[in-house]
Amino acid sequence: MMRNDMNHIADNIRKVALGLVGLLLSLLIYLSYIQVVESEFLATHPLNRRTAEIARMIPYGMIVDRHGDKLAYSQREGDVFKRKYPYEAMTAQVVGYDSSTYGKSGIEGTFNSYLTGNNNAMAHLGAISHLFANKAGNNVVLTLDVKLQEIAYKALGNHRGAVIAINPRTGAILAMVSKPSFDPNQIDQEWKSISTNENSPLLNRVTQGLYPPGSTIKVMIAEAALKEKVIDLNRTIDCEGILKIPPDYTLQESHLESYGKINLTEALAVSSNVFFGTISLELGRSKMANAFERFGFKQPVSQELQETASHLPNFSSLGNGDLAQTGIGQGSLLVTPLRMAMLASSFANKGVIMKPYLVDKITDPDGTVIKSYSQEEWLTVTSPQLAEDINKMMIKVVESGTGKSASLPGIIVAGKTGTAENAQGDSHAWFIGFAPANNPQIAIAVIVENAGYGGSIAAPIARQVFRAALQ
Amino acid sequence: MTNIGQLERNLLVVAGIIMLHGVAAVSLAHGVINYIALGAICSIFAGFMLVNTLLRRMGHAGDPLLLPLTALLVSIGLTTIFRLRPDLFLVQVIWIGVGLSVFLVSVFLSRRLEQVAYFKYICGFIGVSLLLTAIVFGVDIGGHKSWVIIGPIRFQPSEFAKIFIVLFLAAYLSERRELLTHATRHYGPLVLPHPRFVAPLIAVWGITMLMFILQRDMGAALLYFGIAILMAYMVSGRLSYVIIGLVLFLIGSVICYKLYSHIQIRVDIWLNPWADPNGGAYQIVQSLFALGSGGIMGTGLTYGFPGMIPEVHTDFIFAAIGEEMGLMGAGAVIIIYIILIYRAFRASLLSIMPFSMMVAGGLAVSMALQIFLIIGGVIKFFPLTGITLPFISYGGSSIVSNFILLGMLFSISEVRCYDAK
Repeated sequence: MMRNDMNHIADNIRKVALGLVGLLLSLLIYLSYIQVVESEFLATHPLNRRTAEIARMIPYGMIVDRHGDKLAYSQREGDVFKRKYPYEAMTAQVVGYDSSTYGKSGIEGTFNSYLTGNNNAMAHLGAISHLFANKAGNNVVLTLDVKLQEIAYKALGNHRGAVIAINPRTGAILAMVSKPSFDPNQIDQEWKSISTNENSPLLNRVTQGLYPPGSTIKVMIAEAALKEKVIDLNRTIDCEGILKIPPDYTLQESHLESYGKINLTEALAVSSNVFFGTISLELGRSKMANAFERFGFKQPVSQELQETASHLPNFSSLGNGDLAQTGIGQGSLLVTPLRMAMLASSFANKGVIMKPYLVDKITDPDGTVIKSYSQEEWLTVTSPQLAEDINKMMIKVVESGTGKSASLPGIIVAGKTGTAENAQGDSHAWFIGFAPANNPQIAIAVIVENAGYGGSIAAPIARQVFRAALQ
Repeated sequence: MTNIGQLERNLLVVAGIIMLHGVAAVSLAHGVINYIALGAICSIFAGFMLVNTLLRRMGHAGDPLLLPLTALLVSIGLTTIFRLRPDLFLVQVIWIGVGLSVFLVSVFLSRRLEQVAYFKYICGFIGVSLLLTAIVFGVDIGGHKSWVIIGPIRFQPSEFAKIFIVLFLAAYLSERRELLTHATRHYGPLVLPHPRFVAPLIAVWGITMLMFILQRDMGAALLYFGIAILMAYMVSGRLSYVIIGLVLFLIGSVICYKLYSHIQIRVDIWLNPWADPNGGAYQIVQSLFALGSGGIMGTGLTYGFPGMIPEVHTDFIFAAIGEEMGLMGAGAVIIIYIILIYRAFRASLLSIMPFSMMVAGGLAVSMALQIFLIIGGVIKFFPLTGITLPFISYGGSSIVSNFILLGMLFSISEVRCYDAK
């Protein structure tokens, strides 16, 4: 009986043991599921701070301008590395910020994987992977010229606005300024005031600001009219200060001036609304739409620049009044300063728009080039002959027209001013252009928000940038 | 017998090498060799060897795997604590030293284990008192009131109570096993034993419900109730005990869930930690991040960020192992526990006395359930409970009580050797 009894208990204990070992084995299976199947999801989850912490253990790469000036670098503070931005607000929207709380922006964000030197190939080797780990991130070399950036930044003064300078022959972005700005060194401390500021300092106005182009669009309208042969260089139109467009629309010169009989060159120089309204109507909806399409306003240009798409009117349903408005850069047309600089550069570069680019190359900590970004043709928008014609007209604008205050001694400057009316108050002052006109080195777009006339506000800013760039 | 002693010694040397290697690796990764830590490790190793020598010289022939497996767990625990909280490392070393001495005492005392059966009510009284102490005087540390602080001493009574409860239940149940098995009453389709014989089980259930409600200690409540039910099953072989027990516990849990918000929160966090990853679910979400980031091979010792998990050196130490040693390390820990529990049940099965058989079985159950509850909680297999990982977590109560438990198992495992001769 005793023996039987013991065997009985032993049987039960065996069952309990099996059950409990089964429970522990189920833990092993579930743990394998977590660490193998779910591993990737958990390791890369946005709330998992480990990736950011690992990155903080090694110095990130530097972001430098075309001459090697440091725009961002990592400096050891205790156990971790902290990002430093020696040019502070001057390059803030381009270079971006790096905050453990608020993330990254600009080049810091888009080139994060190069800067951190993240090399996931060895990660599955566990502890052994540390033998192959990078000791520092890779450097990003920009096309930016920080001295030119500084000139442009200071030239904008206390205005809100943007300046972009491109090399029209390569597409390299030489300066990209957006104001107001912020100090990326203080991003964590001042996030609240920076992010809620009604003037949006975080916004890169060059690529993300949408503005009516005003009269600066007339250079494109002039090209379209010549190409479509609705006008030639000799034909004159009588500009009496007012253009009546049936049924009930009137277009006026900005101060109701009367320019009399003027040709295309003269009309661009004085920026006649009546003249360009008239030829826009003569061009008609489909040819106008075609011009905007030809100049690339409908297609994105570059992923890396994170540009906001232009807003074009729906040409097929546009009334005559609105069509004429679009021809003088008003109505519902909205574009970024980047696009206007590209428009200017197309006439500087014989009708070819180069793809704008900001990053020249990536180098490893020893300076070896890992990746380089070469210049690339984007669109051929017009013929060399027509580009040359518009080029000459734009020289006249600066020599004797509305753009006089962009002129420089000894350098031929080509340009076009704009004074864009907008719903947000005073007109925006615009200037687009390039120099030297006979051998263009730099194309520019300047916008100063709610500042008044392009000729008196934006053109002098462009002149300072031209002078600095061509010294 | 010398063969067994030699085997144990060889296995201890292997565990010792792992211990030395772990602490040296952490030390080297920090770029400084910590001689104090290495010295401490050597003394722990010497301690294990000394215990081995003493026991074998005196003719003890317990299971030669128990001590080396424990040394292995202690190695992993010490390495992890040295990496996580170097300031607590020496304290833990001292506790392990105390644990080893307590182990020796426990082995010697347990040779007369059968006599404990006479004092079963005293054991039961002590066990229940310890639990009630925790309930009445419990101080909330880390979310559950399982700590008792008396002057400079603070300990977790529930860690010790489980030994007394197991002793009491083993004695009570093995004496009444026939009554439990045969004296039954029929209530419709249900076959139940006479209420008199299940009274202690009902009492344990009552206490665990109290722990559940007052102490917010779901883990300990489930642990004690699970021990009682499974031990009753061992004696009677009646599955209805387990089922009725589970139903009772479920009813209690559902009532508590409805009545108490803190239990609702625990369960809701378990069901969907991603609903509030920075609030109540912070700890479990961080634990999952640690395990996921570790992957199969782990990040390597000192290259992870287990410090992001609150209470990582006590309740969540398993997540730290999973992060830095990967599935390889964490899986190894589970497998070591499985082997240890297998050996504990083996000791039970080879025992010739029903009482010691029940004691070993009960201790094995308590260890297995505790491991299941804490690891299951850390990896979100189970709602989170606040109990320690035996021999690995930081903490004196846990280390000492588990060494006492190990000593009893060791002693029971040697009885059959005498019998075999």
